[in-house]
Amino acid sequence: MSGRVIVITSGKGGVGKTTASANIGVALANTGASVCLVDMDIGLRNLDILMGLENRVVYNLVDVVEERCKLRQALVKDKRMPNLSLLPAAQTRDKTAVNAEQMKKLCEELKSMFDFVLVDSPAGIESGFQNAIAGAEEAIVITTPEMSAVRDADRIIGLLEAQKDQITQYRLVLNRLRPKMVANSDMMGVEDVLEILSVKLLGVVPEDEEIIISTNKGEPVSGTDNTRSGLAFRNIARRLRGEEVPFMDLDVKNDTWVTRIVNFFNPVRV
Amino acid sequence: MQILDWLFKVPTGATPGTAAVTAKDRMRNMLTHDRLELPAGKLEVLEEELTAVVARYFDLEPDTTRFDLKQIDRKAALIANFQLVRSKC
Repeated sequence: MSGRVIVITSGKGGVGKTTASANIGVALANTGASVCLVDMDIGLRNLDILMGLENRVVYNLVDVVEERCKLRQALVKDKRMPNLSLLPAAQTRDKTAVNAEQMKKLCEELKSMFDFVLVDSPAGIESGFQNAIAGAEEAIVITTPEMSAVRDADRIIGLLEAQKDQITQYRLVLNRLRPKMVANSDMMGVEDVLEILSVKLLGVVPEDEEIIISTNKGEPVSGTDNTRSGLAFRNIARRLRGEEVPFMDLDVKNDTWVTRIVNFFNPVRV
Repeated sequence: MQILDWLFKVPTGATPGTAAVTAKDRMRNMLTHDRLELPAGKLEVLEEELTAVVARYFDLEPDTTRFDLKQIDRKAALIANFQLVRSKC
């Protein structure tokens, strides 16, 4: 088997990289693919919490690289989904504990075991990021519609462009979109961000309080049926598998009496 | 009065002066400079120098010279517009 290694990155911290990694991982696993989530945020381990697997971590990525255990021993299998595994980051080390060569080798090995290897990159553009992308052939760039996040995403895209030979494609996930604020012209919308970054869109995830609830429960929203953010992540997973999935209609821009009358006679799918 | 605002609201595109439009304009400008690694103020110096060169060859219509730094995909283009009155040669 030769799986796909996809790095999930953003530049800026706090835009939802880890949340996206967990949710896309769960959604991909739900489509039947075998998935390994790799937490590359060494020293600031969080992916295990989002997955609800924090109590089951025994070994970590650094243990594997430094050959204190076998790769299979470090993988934490999700009991809810046997085809989903997590390779946790070390919490007591820092980003210098792994280098790009070691990461490449690790990704090669994981690729032979899983359909998808999702690498959750740390924030920043330094060694941690460079290591995270070392073994990847594809990238998902996460941003929110805020100026600072978009600027950092642009920097990341520039760095990915420079590695074109290795990273053959990258696409954008616009996270935490607030349709109402966009409709009121209070913040940039999907079109604005795409135009500014000139990048292909993989998905749009609306701001959703359910994300916080699901994090507290340790059950990513994409595993449950009834949330908009969960649906958005499931759509992203389907697009990653090559399916053509129309983008969710998050537009409330045209809420006027004219459109209400039109919609009354011609109800649209949300 | 909110209901009245809503009643008279016409479907429109982006309105100039809103936070969204301001953010987009600032972003465009900032990213163009970021991508070119262009220090602030340098472009203005270049524009002055370019104008001076053209002005050696032509009389220029006053206050019509325009420079536009545009993004086409992820590449930048500097577009200069001089309105020429007559040759000085």
